[in-house]
Amino acid sequence: MSNKFLSNEEGSSPKFFWYSAIFWLVIGMGAGLLGALEFSFPDLTKGVEQLSFTRLRPAHVNTVAFGWLSMANIGSALFIIPALCKTKLFSEKLANFTCYVWNFVIGAGFISLLNGYTEGREYAEYREPFDILVLVGLALLSYNLFRTVLTRNVKKLYVSVWYIMGAFFWMPLVYLVGNRTFVAMDGLNDGILNWFYGHNILGMWFTVLGVGIAYYMVPKMTGRPVWSHSLSMFGFWTIAFFYAPTGTHHLLQSPVPEWLKALAVIFSAALLIPVISVLVNFYMSMKGSWWMLTTNMPLRFVLTGAFWYFITCIQGPFQAMRGVNWYIHFTQWVVGHAHVALLGTFTFFVIGAMYYGLQRLTGRRIYSVRLVKWHYWLLLVGFTLFFFSLTIAGLQQAVGWALAYPVAQWSLTLVPMWMVRSIGGTMMFASSCLFAYNIFMTMRENSITPKDQLDIAVPVEEGK
Amino acid sequence: MSDNKKIGARGYVLPALVVIFSFSLIYIVVVLIPDMTMVKIHPSEYAMEYVQKDEKGEILRDDKGIPVPNAAGRGRKVYIKEGCFYCHSQFVRPQDRDFGSRVYAGDYANETPNILGTSRTGPDLSNEGQKLPDAWHIGHLRDPRAYTPGSIMPSFSFLGDEDMSDLVEYIQSLGQKRFEDPKNRQIYEAYYPEADTAFWKKSEHHKPNVDSAAAANAGAGIFRQNCAVCHGTNGLGNGPNALAMAKKPANFSEPFYKSYSDKTWYYRVAEGVPGTRMPRWKLKLAPEQMWYLVAYLKTLPQEKEVIIEKFQTINDKDWEDQSSLPQRLVDTYENISRMKDNGTYKSNPGGEIEGVAGGH
Ligand code: HEC
Ligand code: HEC
Repeated sequence: MSNKFLSNEEGSSPKFFWYSAIFWLVIGMGAGLLGALEFSFPDLTKGVEQLSFTRLRPAHVNTVAFGWLSMANIGSALFIIPALCKTKLFSEKLANFTCYVWNFVIGAGFISLLNGYTEGREYAEYREPFDILVLVGLALLSYNLFRTVLTRNVKKLYVSVWYIMGAFFWMPLVYLVGNRTFVAMDGLNDGILNWFYGHNILGMWFTVLGVGIAYYMVPKMTGRPVWSHSLSMFGFWTIAFFYAPTGTHHLLQSPVPEWLKALAVIFSAALLIPVISVLVNFYMSMKGSWWMLTTNMPLRFVLTGAFWYFITCIQGPFQAMRGVNWYIHFTQWVVGHAHVALLGTFTFFVIGAMYYGLQRLTGRRIYSVRLVKWHYWLLLVGFTLFFFSLTIAGLQQAVGWALAYPVAQWSLTLVPMWMVRSIGGTMMFASSCLFAYNIFMTMRENSITPKDQLDIAVPVEEGK
Repeated sequence: MSDNKKIGARGYVLPALVVIFSFSLIYIVVVLIPDMTMVKIHPSEYAMEYVQKDEKGEILRDDKGIPVPNAAGRGRKVYIKEGCFYCHSQFVRPQDRDFGSRVYAGDYANETPNILGTSRTGPDLSNEGQKLPDAWHIGHLRDPRAYTPGSIMPSFSFLGDEDMSDLVEYIQSLGQKRFEDPKNRQIYEAYYPEADTAFWKKSEHHKPNVDSAAAANAGAGIFRQNCAVCHGTNGLGNGPNALAMAKKPANFSEPFYKSYSDKTWYYRVAEGVPGTRMPRWKLKLAPEQMWYLVAYLKTLPQEKEVIIEKFQTINDKDWEDQSSLPQRLVDTYENISRMKDNGTYKSNPGGEIEGVAGGH
């Protein structure tokens, strides 16, 4: 019995994480879409407190950040680390157990956030019981992965292992110090802590995991080694040092100490160094393989992610400059920026990894290549609309705040932007449903394909 | 397997230590040091305390030793639970106009968790207290679009009476201490921008002779059209809209206004009065029109303040006869009268919406 619910089969835990992640993706995006629609139709759910915008927002953010992206990334880590270490995962059972814990947190957390059981700090809205469970889950995963690395069959660690293991060092720490359950401060200090945490789950968790995954995917898909190993390690260490102190750039005009702001600005600018080194490395590794984008869908996802990574990482340091921040802070521009990082970049990365990894692990071809392409294009076009509408709305708001026009005088000029955002959101939501359907049908229908035919994961020619 | 054991962590212990050590160091520098050095030493005079106290000024605590929040403190919890901070910030930036005086680190000393906010879909609320009457807030929270057409603020009509009353109490407490301190008004006074040459240069464009009777006459017309709703037809601050304002419009009969120079008048009209409903007319009127207004305002009798006894009303009946009100306002009235019955409605001194409230 325990075998059925806590499988010890090789590769069962990444699959479990990935399937759960896809489920939460649909739920989380649905909540986000409904919230976005309420900007166009504010009285859409009037009187239903669980569906009011302010309840949907934390439910959406936490579900996509912890339910979708974290679980998808963890699944990828559980897939990539054993592969790169040429060994088995230390304990599939333990990882599967962790996945139950994590699913419980996301499900119960979703419901409790909708009911207003919230901590009230952005990205850290889960209350005490969930915080403790998340931390337990992270500790178990770290333990599991470290034991796996220790029993590896290769001598030197590939850069992806560095990135992923780094993430599993940092994230438990970040989570521990960033949540009020464990560390509570008063007043403005709580704001500083809030953004230390808020920015570092991005930097020390999503970014390092995402980049680690992409470093695995690019050489794997092209069949050529990564362009420069030392450059990739340089990127790792510079991220390690430059990312952590930047959180205060969310509070640049608030009354926090000036030296702290200066520190945040300087390090934010310095982030260009790891970013450029990572991107140069990706693009140089692609030399001679660009044609593959036409046939290889996982690679196409990853490289589109790399393109958005470029956008978000140029925006980031630029926004942290005081002059720019002065202008665009508080506006929807920033919301757009946050989505380029988590949706444009890391979601694209991990979807690439999932399409590839799921075929590997199940030994089945994807159910429909046409649906994969629909997924790609709907997500890309939807996201582009979404991103540009928020950016433009942000610039309009920036004018309003900068010249101190009363909100009522310009809020109506934003209406078209909210509409376009909802349209983009609908497209992305649809793409996620297709994704879920496609994976579901793959699980159900297709038969096992011989391993050697799976190498280039989704070639177009052979699609249905 | 035995071979693998030998590879183990060799060569990677140092990097792992560096990763953890550097992260901890950064944490200490950017979080712990500010925490140790900043607020605890300087709790400011404006820091609000959202707790109940006994006669001796001791903070009341429950069995678990947690301070018992007062009504505004409970309202703060509602504010967090309902996520108002996703759309409303609570810090006034150096460059902000119209949101009242700035907020400093010590002002937040007793508040936790922070609700600084990261996005301004709606205005900053740091100094929102006392600006509008309770009834306005209740109505607005129930149905924002009835009060501000086109607003995208969600409706919070699902809030229970207790929560609603606490939340409004909290809103009214925001910036209260800053507001009461006369120092903070002088900040605005000091901001007399002689140096803002662009502003004054623009004002010179088509500047009429402000001492002429013709200009004053023209100003009177503009005043009736734009200002009388608040300032009253005679500039006594008793227009019908003033009824619903916590911070009443200026009564120009106060002798104090004799001290105003042309430029001061002009500047006030053009820039509005931060923290009140007085609009910034330069967004709507041309410099020439504002100078006409100055000419008119100067001619108002400012020898002896006229104490206003009654607000001018468009039609008192409209407020009493609820059948003629749109449904959304009827809802608000029902809510308020229910809250009055069960004792959760505490009207603020700024004025009630029905009946005629006290003067300036
Ligand atoms: C979706 C974003 C949003 C949320 C959430 C929100 N508001 Fe608003 N709020 C606005 C906007 C936009 C305005 C400006 C238009 C208006 O007056 O309705 C506003 C205006 C206000 C005003 C009037 C400010 C003034 O001086 O004119 C108050 C007071 C207010 N909100 C309180 C609240 C409270 C309390 C909550 C939480 C229960 C809340 N808001 C939640 C968007 C929001
Ligand atoms: C929406 C209501 C409203 C309207 C309309 C309005 N005012 Fe005001 N006005 C106020 C309020 C409220 C104050 C603040 C009084 C105070 O500071 O105590 C004020 C203050 C002023 C002051 C500054 C008085 C001082 O103490 O320095 C001037 C001058 C003034 N208004 C002129 C005008 C003129 C001229 C117009 C028409 C073009 C106008 N107001 C329209 C509400 C209004």
